[in-house]
Amino acid sequence: MNDLRARIAQIVERDRAHQSDKRGESRGTDRNPLYAAVSPAPRAGDPSAARGPSVGAAAWPCFEVREQRFAIDDLGLEIVGRGACDALLLAHLGLKGEAPRDWPDILFLDTETTGLSGGTGTYIFLIGVAHFAGKELILRQHMLLDLGAEREFIEQLKGEIEPFRACASYNGKAFDLPIIRTRFVMAIRSEVTVDDSHLDLLHPARRLWRDRFGSTTLKQLEESVLDDGRTADIPGWLIPDAYFHYLRKRDPAIIAPVLEHNARDVISLVRITDRVARAVTAARAGRAPDHAPAAFALARGFERTGEIDAAFACYESAYYDGDNALRAKLALAFARLLERRGELERALRMMETLVALGLGSERWREQAESRIRRLTKKKWRKALPTAS
Amino acid sequence: MRTAVRFPARVSLEQILDGLARDPEFSQMVTRWERIPPRRASYAEYPAWLDGRISATLRRRGILSLYSHQADALESTHAGKHTVIVTPTASGKTLCYDLPVIDAIAKDPTARALYIFPTKALAQDQLAELMRLAKDVDIDLKTYTYDGDTPPAVRAAIRSAGHVVITNPDMLHTGILPHHTKWVKLFENLRFVVLDELHTYRGVFGSNVANVLRRLRRVCAFYGSHPTFICTSATIANPEELARRHVEDDVVVIDRNGAPRGEKVLAFVNPPVVNQSLGIRKSALFTGRDIAATLLASGVQTIAFARSRVETELLLTYLRSRFPQPQWPQDLIRGYRGGYLPSERRAIEQGLRDGSVRGVVSTNALELGIDIGALQAAVLLGYPGTVASTWQQMGRAGRREDLSAAFLVATSSPIDQYVVQHPGYVLDRSPEAGLVNPDNLHVLVHHLKCAAFEIPFEARERFGTEDTPGVLAYLDEQGVLHESGGKYHWSDQAFPAETTSLRTATNDNVVIVDTTGPAPRTVGSEHHDGKARVIGEIDRFAAQVLLHEQAIYLHESKQFQVERLDWDNAKAYVREVKVDYYTQAELAVRIRVIDEFDRRSTQRGFDLAHGEVLVSTLTTIYKKLTMYTHENVGWGKIHLPEQELQTTSFWCSLPERAVAGWPKERVEVALAGLGNLLHGLAPLLLMCAPHDLGLAVEVRSPHTERPTIYLFDMTPGGIGFSERLFKSTDVLLDRAREHLDSCGCGTGCPSCVGPAYALGTEVREAVADLLSLHS
Repeated sequence: MNDLRARIAQIVERDRAHQSDKRGESRGTDRNPLYAAVSPAPRAGDPSAARGPSVGAAAWPCFEVREQRFAIDDLGLEIVGRGACDALLLAHLGLKGEAPRDWPDILFLDTETTGLSGGTGTYIFLIGVAHFAGKELILRQHMLLDLGAEREFIEQLKGEIEPFRACASYNGKAFDLPIIRTRFVMAIRSEVTVDDSHLDLLHPARRLWRDRFGSTTLKQLEESVLDDGRTADIPGWLIPDAYFHYLRKRDPAIIAPVLEHNARDVISLVRITDRVARAVTAARAGRAPDHAPAAFALARGFERTGEIDAAFACYESAYYDGDNALRAKLALAFARLLERRGELERALRMMETLVALGLGSERWREQAESRIRRLTKKKWRKALPTAS
Repeated sequence: MRTAVRFPARVSLEQILDGLARDPEFSQMVTRWERIPPRRASYAEYPAWLDGRISATLRRRGILSLYSHQADALESTHAGKHTVIVTPTASGKTLCYDLPVIDAIAKDPTARALYIFPTKALAQDQLAELMRLAKDVDIDLKTYTYDGDTPPAVRAAIRSAGHVVITNPDMLHTGILPHHTKWVKLFENLRFVVLDELHTYRGVFGSNVANVLRRLRRVCAFYGSHPTFICTSATIANPEELARRHVEDDVVVIDRNGAPRGEKVLAFVNPPVVNQSLGIRKSALFTGRDIAATLLASGVQTIAFARSRVETELLLTYLRSRFPQPQWPQDLIRGYRGGYLPSERRAIEQGLRDGSVRGVVSTNALELGIDIGALQAAVLLGYPGTVASTWQQMGRAGRREDLSAAFLVATSSPIDQYVVQHPGYVLDRSPEAGLVNPDNLHVLVHHLKCAAFEIPFEARERFGTEDTPGVLAYLDEQGVLHESGGKYHWSDQAFPAETTSLRTATNDNVVIVDTTGPAPRTVGSEHHDGKARVIGEIDRFAAQVLLHEQAIYLHESKQFQVERLDWDNAKAYVREVKVDYYTQAELAVRIRVIDEFDRRSTQRGFDLAHGEVLVSTLTTIYKKLTMYTHENVGWGKIHLPEQELQTTSFWCSLPERAVAGWPKERVEVALAGLGNLLHGLAPLLLMCAPHDLGLAVEVRSPHTERPTIYLFDMTPGGIGFSERLFKSTDVLLDRAREHLDSCGCGTGCPSCVGPAYALGTEVREAVADLLSLHS
């Protein structure tokens, strides 16, 4: 046996040493005011945490559910979670699939995993899910306390997910949902249906804010959009090791920062969703974003949903606030809307000005000139009957 | 034999062979001229259970009945028995697995099959063939290749809808098994697993593949399927054993070939001795070149197999100089070997099929069933190392009806000389065995980690070795696995399948970067845009010999000099040069015994043992040798770090009394000579290439304290060669004596104990003394 061990030891490479010294360093001490205002986050072991049955002879329960409730008012939500949600708005929020009827039908979720590489050996050990009930947002964090209890964990998760008609995530299409699907097959040989209807906020957020803030990670948006940055947060790449460490040491203090990180991610997801919805609603009411590329992005969205007036307002705003490059980019679409409203003269003037400025690619100029010819023709045709 | 190359006179192969047989100079070289008569086909009816659409389609194609071995294979696989089909090249092996698979899918569209080919190129070939057949049969059969080249967009469709997924072991290892939850449809309904070219899954590659298959069966069991394995193999002595190691279950062997074969001439050619006293023969390269040139000049499509990359390039250079432009088309002869880019290789394969490429010089890369059509003649430069390879390479020339010819040109190496002087070894005997060692701890532990990543291990589960619980417990302690609820779970961020390649023991290649600028012919232009181009890659062990600084590296018959070798970053920077020499590096080897597994004494008084050793290798100097005459024209030092290899070794130490009273020099010489002889002949027992086995001799070994010869496995951890050598040492020693007795040299030559000019004139006699002890 010792011989075997010695020989395997030569084979098994140990390359994780460099990560271990950084582990646990970043556990925050100053609590976020948001949580302090609402309800103190219960630590693992608090009575508010429900625990599952123990597995086998292990002294540890196999999973744990922590629940926190947040008042909608305290989260500063204006649209999301209030009143009915209309399908058109959801389309702007990145919805793919059938639209849910009501905000409480949507499950907001974020997972923490044992690795980023995917594949069948990557486990979900923590999933935070949030939904609206009355005037509250209820956040439930399901934590797998031992890998051996995955079956029970996933079964419980399935029960949690099933009542919902839709889910919302931040980059869930590429990351969270594939892993959830893998775990469902691995643990209970079942399929996941919640993402038949899925709002992945990454894409609308990117369209609205990438140009302005460069990065559109959730963390960046908290700082830039919510003006509520994280002061203490465990970096994502340390999370898997923190969990492995926790599995061995069983010290809740090791995993607490991860629970906080996850809770924060889910809450931010809800708040960012609200910010996107606000931008859309404001634009509908004629207040297009003052950042031109964002207005342009919204304009295109409104064109897709057929909300022509809102699209027009956004194009107009983006045209006046934007630089020449952006103007050239939106001019053809904007001209089409102007034409539709009968403002031929204005469309013509705009196109002629842009062409005169020598903007755009050669192909663009060709299109622009053909549009100018068409507009001119239309203008004369319109003028003729009055002349006769 | 003189080859005057003037015009492509279209002479028939029959006439060329006649001419050669009548040429006195040539016939003197021939040790055996074997005319293998054509064989008639043996047919069998289509089985009654076979879907009517399939037999109708085949009849429409003119295939009125099956060959007997095909019918046997169909019956066996239909009965759900694992089957291995052992018949020669071009005997219609493909139908043996295509038909059961198409039949199963025709009857049950949910049925799935997985085809595993050793290389991507073979997979491409098969895809085309299977799609044609399915289309003709008119069943809805979706077939896809799933490998590194498959676009991400179609991958999802393949996973859920592909009836037949064609892949290679590497992709199964890194792309499919670790993501098995995406392949639920495939694994739930997997009926057949096809393993083509089973004989290639031996040695280190085979040991890895056997473990990948263990993982495959584990995943299948998880989804409740139990596929039938259909394997095909070239002729080897132990197809059943090899298949059993891979399938780990009972396997039916089908080896009665029912396919017809055209007449074939096999010639064993031994180049003449040019220096009797030194025992030096004319280079096989030259003799081979002459034969190939004669064939090519007459328009016979010919393949020449060389044994190394360097030889491939040399032969290509020599042959091309015989067929100069513009009289001859530029692409008349092409080179083909590992290290060429895939696109280059696809073009050459295509050229061979459509006939635009008339000749190809290849390493064994073309020995597998890559479709290059049937050529008319094959020239083997040296014995390929195994009987199976010899038949595969000779089989590259050969059609069902016409005459074909194959020439085996022996080099001076001991094994070649043994074979050319005992052609019956190839012609009569059942060839050697394919060895794998799936329980090599290096290999096994790695795959056990991959398997744990795929599905958690039950504490009582066995993965190959009986030591599984020990390995699991160890990995748990190391934090790689985590035990919970009676199962071991993967608990690491890493993706284990990506850390090792199946092909080499070390996944560590040196990339060759060509820094020669474009348009070198522009007179007076010293400038180039500095654009570097990757022309190939080579594993580190070979790199220390081939890519040291100042080495001349040959690629597509162009010479490159290594200007800088960045060993740490595994890059060799080369520049094209034109010189009239090549380089050869010398390797110093040191051995330390770590553990002795077993020992015994032979009747001759030799002490034998095998065990685990640490081999240190160091390249110290290189020689410059002239291109055609192999004269030493200079040397240089090599500065590379020592390489270490932990592996298994066989060793043999001489009894004290054997060398009692001998001067030290004589002991040294005798030991070196015997080492050469045994190292040269050992591959006859093991299905391995000579370079799979390392040799070291020590006049006084620190371990045995006696003169000792080590033959060690070049694969880390070993793949079973040393144990087999330990068990059959007597056969090896007998064969060594036999060979030494029949060797025509007087005092020792490269074909037996080594050249007398290097080892001293008493080497042969000293070795003979050692071998005749007590006999």
